[in-house]
Amino acid sequence: MKRKSRIIARLDIKNDFVIKGIHLEGLRKVGNPNELALKYYNDGIDEIILMDAVAAYYDRNSLSEIVKRTCHNVFVPITVGGGIRKIEDIQIALNSGADKVAINTQAVNEPNFIRRSSEVFGSQCIIGSIDAKKKSNKNWEVFIDNGREPTGKDVLEWARELEFLGAGEIMITSIDQEGTKKGFDIELNKALSEILTIPIISCGGAGHVNHISELILNTNIDAVAIASILHYKLDEIPKLKETLNDHEVINVRL
Amino acid sequence: MSKLEAYYGLPSKVKFCKKCVISNQRPSSTIEFKSEIGEKKQVISFNDQGICSACAFQYEKEKNINWNHREDKLLKLLDRFRSNDGSYDVIVPGSGGKDSAFTSHVLKYKYGMNPLTVTWAPHLYTDIGWENMQEWIHTGGLDNIIYTPNGILHREMTKNAFHNLLHPFQPFIVGQRIIGPAMAKKFGVKLVMYGENQAEYGNAIEENTNPLMNMDFFSSDDHLDMKFGGIKMKKYLETGKYKKEDFLPYIAPSKKTLIDFGTEVHYLGYYLKWDPQECYYYAVENTGFAANPIRTEGTYSKYSSIDDKIDPFHYYTTLIKFGIGRCTYDASQEVRNGKITREEAVYLVNKYDTEFPEIYFKDFLNYITTTEEDFWKTIDRHRSPHLWFKDAKDWKLRNRIT
Amino acid sequence: MKIVIVDYGIGNVRSIYNAFSYQGLNPILSNDSEVILNADGLVLPGVGAFSHAMKNLIKYNLINIIKNYAKTGKPLLGICLGMQLLLEESEEFGYTKGIGLIKGKVVKLPFNKSNQVKLPSIGWCGIKSNVVKWEKTILNEINLNSEMYFVHSFVSNVTDQNEILSVTDYYDFTFCSTLKKGNIYGCQFHPEKSSIVGLKIIKNFIDICK
Repeated sequence: MKRKSRIIARLDIKNDFVIKGIHLEGLRKVGNPNELALKYYNDGIDEIILMDAVAAYYDRNSLSEIVKRTCHNVFVPITVGGGIRKIEDIQIALNSGADKVAINTQAVNEPNFIRRSSEVFGSQCIIGSIDAKKKSNKNWEVFIDNGREPTGKDVLEWARELEFLGAGEIMITSIDQEGTKKGFDIELNKALSEILTIPIISCGGAGHVNHISELILNTNIDAVAIASILHYKLDEIPKLKETLNDHEVINVRL
Repeated sequence: MSKLEAYYGLPSKVKFCKKCVISNQRPSSTIEFKSEIGEKKQVISFNDQGICSACAFQYEKEKNINWNHREDKLLKLLDRFRSNDGSYDVIVPGSGGKDSAFTSHVLKYKYGMNPLTVTWAPHLYTDIGWENMQEWIHTGGLDNIIYTPNGILHREMTKNAFHNLLHPFQPFIVGQRIIGPAMAKKFGVKLVMYGENQAEYGNAIEENTNPLMNMDFFSSDDHLDMKFGGIKMKKYLETGKYKKEDFLPYIAPSKKTLIDFGTEVHYLGYYLKWDPQECYYYAVENTGFAANPIRTEGTYSKYSSIDDKIDPFHYYTTLIKFGIGRCTYDASQEVRNGKITREEAVYLVNKYDTEFPEIYFKDFLNYITTTEEDFWKTIDRHRSPHLWFKDAKDWKLRNRIT
Repeated sequence: MKIVIVDYGIGNVRSIYNAFSYQGLNPILSNDSEVILNADGLVLPGVGAFSHAMKNLIKYNLINIIKNYAKTGKPLLGICLGMQLLLEESEEFGYTKGIGLIKGKVVKLPFNKSNQVKLPSIGWCGIKSNVVKWEKTILNEINLNSEMYFVHSFVSNVTDQNEILSVTDYYDFTFCSTLKKGNIYGCQFHPEKSSIVGLKIIKNFIDICK
């Protein structure tokens, strides 16, 4: 029986708004975090990711109020990311009601942070998050600080290292595709799913349900994080899931 | 306490706008070919509440302008000029950045005009700049002419501008302002449309109640007295290295010629509510525009002004002369348009404003045939004492924003 | 009525708290023996490593307290790792002793690279009935094959079939997803994270506690 593919809503948050950029740039407001999270939950989303979109700019992380409010009436797994730099930050996120945290920049600056975090909180709690920019054929570079600073690191190698350090999942965002609504970076996701043994959450590029099915059919990723398609109301979750489930080999929770 | 000298006739006391993060040292747009060495600068004005004219204008934009009405005016304007024989009917100057991408695309595909885009070539195209320019044409679907002035003269003028005015972009701006009207005349097109009005950023508000660009910016009757890099054209000719023909790209048409021909230079920003960040989104979605793959030096953004390798030095020199770096410009604009709060802008300015643009430094030195030592000598010469002081190690700004 | 969530520094208690709250009852977080023994219902949460959790239970002196509570016959619900802790032992990191209220051993999910199967197992899976009927249990009125949210690498190998209330498939391996021994319940999944179905299970538990 094929494992189900999880469909996850990703909300990038700045202050009190959900925003949506393109190529991880731009702060266009698209809605209210709690309203959107509740709507997507009621519509049947499998999980929700709340990202602090500007934590990198301001060297802070400040989602706990929003997380608390969201968790109050949303009963699916919630991941919090953006500016997670210390053990205390993870504790605060979990205390606010989050189930998992996504760690990106800090992991690159201090790889051992992943090891320490997974030891304290368990791997299932720690998502290694990677923003990837294509350099050439089958070659992607890791970027940090919300897709602003290049690191010279190779994405595939770094993902493997994150797995080794104890991350429970990998979330991969294609900077080239994200916000464009033109589809996922299939090559990137394929390459990753061939070398990792922990679940992969794909992010970046969904504009149409066909993009999602193309991704699931051609790679071995486990979960799909979508944003533009939901925030711009290009599709609705129940309809999207039904279309996906109609596929012979795709299986989603209805 | 003795009064510190303020160069360029700048206000001796530095003040920051209470709404955005611009300071009262910000110069207004000038007629570039009249730029003198050491001249007194006109600066942005602050009202009694300590709010800059750009923010005051933003308030106008939000509350007091009827944009439907303005768009009607645009439609009437375009109706006047729209061609019915397939010829070009509007010139859109630009380099393929988000503003010209938006302006040209919207004129063609929404308003049914037949634009010719004209590009006054950047000194040195960045990779992303060139790609965006090509995408503009091939994905956006626009006709384009790129006009590149003779590099030998351009470089010498830029070098002079850097050393004499600490304003390396001065010659570039002269040509950039002229190319619209000049190309329009060549193609028999009367209408030139720019994107945003510089009043958005703090020129006199009165300038923005008028859709037309002041002809003084792009017309001149006294060619030999035009200054490039602080040096009159006369003097360049006297060296024997150059002939008058070499200055063709920089010679503005006379006012009479333009008036007789019927040239009108408008700002689209007068007719449509302008939001630079929304231009970014539009350009990505319609003309294949891509943001800078890495954060632009001196700021936090990835989408503004990314096509010329010399660009970062334009901003670095405004930092030296006015204490205002690239981040201040970007952040102020985003505060006004409601993208970030003033508090966030302050944080960003303190974090990025004084960052030195390392990436294209060698390219710049090479372009203006200047050694690193001479570069810093010139830079330091232009630091106004009322803005800068030197401590044990480094030069520091006296006034950091809070 | 008082429902107590065991507070021993492990587990996402806020979500569990919110779920109970949503169903109209604000639970108490505590590791105090008197409070626990006087509770009308007890919830044992848990995420992470078995041995780490056991160490903490020992640190807070909770093992005997929980055992004594169970002796009263009042309802007890172990969630995820909390369910696994109820068993006798776990093979994680060698061998670790559990609380021992349920006969059986905690074992790792079979990892098979050729299946392209990944651990931890994260996602929504259906729960199927086993031998015992679901009526009047925490799975009362739950549809068969309802999908619940799982995240785990280990499962409980419960010895007595009659104590296995629901099973779930992991590729060609079937494991116990809900256990029941008298009033002792365990869910391998997270009812507090399983949307409306999960909230119903929480409600059922509250009803049983009445």
